[in-house]
Amino acid sequence: MAEVQLRGVSKSFGGLEVIKGIDLTVASGEFCVFVGPSGCGKSTLLRMIAGLEEVTDGEIRIGGRDVTDAEPSARGIAMVFQNYALYPHLTVAQNIGFGLSLARMPKAEIEAKVRAAADTLQLTHLLDRKPKALSGGQRQRVAIGRAIVRDPKVFLFDEPLSNLDASLRAEMRLEIADLHGRLDATMIYVTHDQVEAMTMADQIVVLNGGRIEQAGTPMELYRRPDTPFVAGFLGSPRMNLFNGDAARAMGTGVYGIRPEHVLLSPDRGRWQGRVRHVERLGADAIIYLDVPQLGELVARTGGDTTLGPGAQVWATPQDGAEHRFGG
Amino acid sequence: MTAMSARRPRRRPTKWRPIVTGALAMAVAFVVFVVPFLFIALQAVKNRRDASRLNFAWPSEWQAWQNFRDVISERNYMLLLAYFNSTVITVGAVALLIVLAAMVGYVLQRRRSRLNGIVMALVLAGLMIPPAVVPTIWVLQGLGLFKTIHGMILIQVAYGLSFSVLLYRAFIATIPKELDEAAIIDGAKPLQVFFRVILPLLRPVTVTLIVVQSIAIFNDFTNPLYYLPGRENVTVQLTLYNFQSQFSSQMNLLFMNVLLVTIPPLIVFIFFNRQIVAGMTAGAVKG
Ligand SMILES: Nc1ncnc2c1ncn2[C@@H]1O[C@H](COP(=O)(O)OP(=O)(O)OP(=O)(O)O)[C@@H](O)[C@H]1O
Ligand SMILES: [Mg+2]
Repeated sequence: MAEVQLRGVSKSFGGLEVIKGIDLTVASGEFCVFVGPSGCGKSTLLRMIAGLEEVTDGEIRIGGRDVTDAEPSARGIAMVFQNYALYPHLTVAQNIGFGLSLARMPKAEIEAKVRAAADTLQLTHLLDRKPKALSGGQRQRVAIGRAIVRDPKVFLFDEPLSNLDASLRAEMRLEIADLHGRLDATMIYVTHDQVEAMTMADQIVVLNGGRIEQAGTPMELYRRPDTPFVAGFLGSPRMNLFNGDAARAMGTGVYGIRPEHVLLSPDRGRWQGRVRHVERLGADAIIYLDVPQLGELVARTGGDTTLGPGAQVWATPQDGAEHRFGG
Repeated sequence: MTAMSARRPRRRPTKWRPIVTGALAMAVAFVVFVVPFLFIALQAVKNRRDASRLNFAWPSEWQAWQNFRDVISERNYMLLLAYFNSTVITVGAVALLIVLAAMVGYVLQRRRSRLNGIVMALVLAGLMIPPAVVPTIWVLQGLGLFKTIHGMILIQVAYGLSFSVLLYRAFIATIPKELDEAAIIDGAKPLQVFFRVILPLLRPVTVTLIVVQSIAIFNDFTNPLYYLPGRENVTVQLTLYNFQSQFSSQMNLLFMNVLLVTIPPLIVFIFFNRQIVAGMTAGAVKG
């Protein structure tokens, strides 16, 4: 358990500035998720916290201690990599216990710790296997086991689930959330999957082009995005965003309304449009409308809607759910 | 129907072809490799008179054991000394070569530095520029290493290093960098990362290199001839050279000597054969 503080952290590769001055506090025991588009610097920032990447400027503190120039192993962190990075020549037990054996811990003690970690992650029956003989989900659990035995103050995850299929990902998501509840450790988690971000995070940090676009709880970011970028990044289907003439007509620079906040009516409303396409997801249906004043408008409605392509409907934004940016 | 019958005879030969070409290849290999070896073995067990005819006739008298003893005891057991010297040179040079080449390959592949270009140029130069004998002898004399076994070991390491470094470097490029980083986070020091994570993963290349280099160094004739003169420094290949004139009237002993010189590399090859092939085809890290 430790607080992670970044003060004015920046990073340049050669002349290229990739991280442009980041100030961030991750509270002790918090689950913090970094999201952002590909290439925005999520991995670089995480690797700087881990100590795998040198900091060009600024300061990193973990648990109040300045670790800006400390060795990775001296920071009290553990990291789980996207491609698992298990040692292929070692068994699962040796993989999990590798760090402990480097620290010259007595054999019996290592074994006890490895066993405890394996029990937590249901790996006990696999302890003698090599990584080659494991499934993707099992490999990721071994990687997490390797992190757990180090008893770190801060866990770092870099897109740990992106190599898994959808159902396994949902399962592992739950497992990591459970783990966080049980260990009560600070966790920093990089993903570009907004479902992972929304469901797991205490705090979401949206990065864009090496800067923090906005940070806050998932619902804060969902309800009150500061910028069109954040608004469009979180929520599925994404928020309807309009700029140019359509936004100017509503007296703002960029106008946004989420699909779930567009109310449809057969005879009354603010905008009239024609249904172009309907996607039925079971519980909900996603309606794609052509609205002459705006362009394309997406609405989410109940799964039992009788609307079909070609139908004329009226759409109205729900009171208080409209977003106006830079107006 | 006509189409069918026209096609059928054309298919048959393609079934026969692998068998025919296979048999042909076996026959060629037999003539080129096995027949000479049998010839050597046959002469080695004959007596002096039979051997001097140099033919495939069955020996009238078997004296393998006596020939063997005669060759071994020749010139105060020179062959045994030669085996000892060759073994020391081969084992010492290969061990040094493996460790040094793997380390250099690792650093060259992983560390980005301005020196890399220079080091790489030197490695390539080592591969391309033929070594000059006389200046090398001057250097060895200057260092006091001329006519010494350890000097010879260093020469063999220097000659084999470029090739080995390139092989290791290419292989290390296939090992994900995250593996090093995971080890670093686990608290490994640089040497521990190398010896406990990287080196074990290099096994396929290491086995290949051990076999190729040990055979090359054991079989080396010219370099010991130049850099390691002196009776007490004789190597296995040089015994043949030393005994040649003396054995010209004792072909059975000459061929016994050839046989004894050929056998150690053959054993190494038979022993590691499967692992070389496995090493050539295996990737570093699966999954
Ligand atoms: N070693 C490096 N040398 C030079 N540029 C680098 C290096 N590592 C990363 N970059 C650059 O830094 C930027 C951020 O990279 P980073 O890997 O942090 O992105 P990311 O947000 O993790 O993206 P993704 O979601 O695709 O993983 C990219 O533009 C990348 O090209
Ligand atoms: Mg990344």
